[in-house]
Amino acid sequence: MASARILAVDDSPTILEMIKAILEAGGYEVITASDGAEALETARAEKPDLILLDVMLPKLDGYRVCRLLKFDQNYKSIPIIMLTAKTEEQAMATGIRTGANQYLTKPVEPEKLLSAVAEELAKAQG
Amino acid sequence: MLGRDQLSKDLTLAEFRQFRDYIHQHSGIFLEESKLDSLRISLVTRATRIDCSAWDAYFEVLARDEKEFRELMSLVTINETSFFRFPAQFEALRDHVIPEIIGASGRDDRQFRVWSAGCSTGEEPYTIAMTLSDSALDGSGWHSEVSGTDVSTKALGVARNGVYSARHLLNVKPEAVERHFVRVDDDAWRVAPHVRRLVEFSYHNLIKEPYPLSIMGTWDVIFCRNVTIYFKLESTRRVVSNFFDSLNEGGYLFVGHSETLTSISDQFEPVETGGVFLYRKPRCARRVASWSGSTSTEPVPPPSTRASRRAAAGSVAATPAPRRAERPAAARASAPAPEPAADPGAPAETLSDLIACAKARLAGGDTAGALEAVEVVLAADRNNAEGLLIAAQVHADTGDYDRALAGATQALTANPLLPGARYVLGIIHQRQGDIVRAISELKKTVYIDPEFALAHMNLANIYKAQGRFDLACRAYDNALRAAHKDPEGPWTLYLGGWKADVVLQTCERSLLECRKAMGAV
Repeated sequence: MASARILAVDDSPTILEMIKAILEAGGYEVITASDGAEALETARAEKPDLILLDVMLPKLDGYRVCRLLKFDQNYKSIPIIMLTAKTEEQAMATGIRTGANQYLTKPVEPEKLLSAVAEELAKAQG
Repeated sequence: MLGRDQLSKDLTLAEFRQFRDYIHQHSGIFLEESKLDSLRISLVTRATRIDCSAWDAYFEVLARDEKEFRELMSLVTINETSFFRFPAQFEALRDHVIPEIIGASGRDDRQFRVWSAGCSTGEEPYTIAMTLSDSALDGSGWHSEVSGTDVSTKALGVARNGVYSARHLLNVKPEAVERHFVRVDDDAWRVAPHVRRLVEFSYHNLIKEPYPLSIMGTWDVIFCRNVTIYFKLESTRRVVSNFFDSLNEGGYLFVGHSETLTSISDQFEPVETGGVFLYRKPRCARRVASWSGSTSTEPVPPPSTRASRRAAAGSVAATPAPRRAERPAAARASAPAPEPAADPGAPAETLSDLIACAKARLAGGDTAGALEAVEVVLAADRNNAEGLLIAAQVHADTGDYDRALAGATQALTANPLLPGARYVLGIIHQRQGDIVRAISELKKTVYIDPEFALAHMNLANIYKAQGRFDLACRAYDNALRAAHKDPEGPWTLYLGGWKADVVLQTCERSLLECRKAMGAV
């Protein structure tokens, strides 16, 4: 099977470079976007196997990107993992339902990220 | 007798048998060998209490002191699985912790979540649920939730079943039995549905890291009684540190009544209420608000004492912080300063505390919280370089590059040798596609602080993208050297919530790619 293609979204080139290194070390192909609008555009054009989405993004925040994709029949099957800060978890508890498949709380460890990615990809295929 | 630290917490089978036989002889209670661990906990608790350093010494005390024998037996017979074990702790939960947490400002999620870690057969989480339903939470519109976890699936089975013999209900007041239990037969009581509903049980091993996401939630209270007795010191430290991370700010850790966190963790504030010692996760937000709410005639208590922290937190709960942002700066302008050093109108200790708080939040990826703390600093001292820098970084993270550039520039005016400000300027230029200026600022960053690993890495990334692999290799090498030399340096603040070792992995991998590209590998 060809390696899965993952869209990583973060506005910091430094962070994107790090995410890319982790995912490529895990055997995945990585494409990137650095703001919410670009993320949406890339997701629609490229139909990646999974999206890794930061919450804080210029233009459109991660929650909105997630909601827009999850409410669209054509894209809702793409698993989305959101990276959140602790306080954002509380916001989620108050009822922000974005439909993301999984949330990872910062600080994020590479092993945790890779196992979450593998888990979501397996679920999507099964 | 030696100090309490000398007591071996292991109990050999031979030692167990010695105590077991003595207990059998003098009380008629025979403890199976499967009860070794349970007896060990009771013995450690008592021996520690009376400063006994060795098992034979404790055995001697036990044999000659009837009172000590009774103390031990009360632990052995109650064992760790009865309802309302050490009732004062549940009273503290009901009368102190719950009112404080639900009365705190800034909590609009209205979910009160308690974790009973190591819950065995379920008596503790059910007791907590009973306490919650008899507390101020009842009818407050708050949703309560108790999670019980344990490593014994057998114990969890009993817990889920929720049926107990009368022996387990000895500590429960009759009116509470009536309210919270349903009688099944002569010697069996079932936990009532309104209590059962609040409690979820699941398997979890406290020693196994990382903790799953479902556990790493935001808890208001964690009960983990006797953890320091179960585990070796190093494990205990890690477990307690994981608890700290899992708690909400202002949340409480309950440990066993004879345990302390001395030499285990200094992250918590000890709080004493009604003779019960509790451990509270400090409340940065409260302290931010309480500082901004104080008046200039009323000096802010130093934040170093426990009592003053409580007082500060309490005053905020009662009165929301008034807006008086310009006051200290104005006061400084109109009155001649007693000394030339910048006096922002507040103790420097408080300002640096706030900066530390903002940094901690930033490192955890909580940009909004960081900004909140830093705005208080800037209101008091609008030229605070570190404050300006943190604000700039938050603006950069949220894509507000104009404000970020202005802030970082202002920070550099206040302190031209602030490496972080150079770095922020560099990455903003990089994001805006101005690579020449980005390289220039990043180079200045490592000139000021050669150990600023992230600046080296960013330079390397830029060179790599440009195909200048020799320069990239050198910069990655520098990044790796810096990250190894100063793994907790100021640069770690700019990781956007990622762990520092990710930098090492990234650099090693990219370095290899560059060398390959150059044909060197």
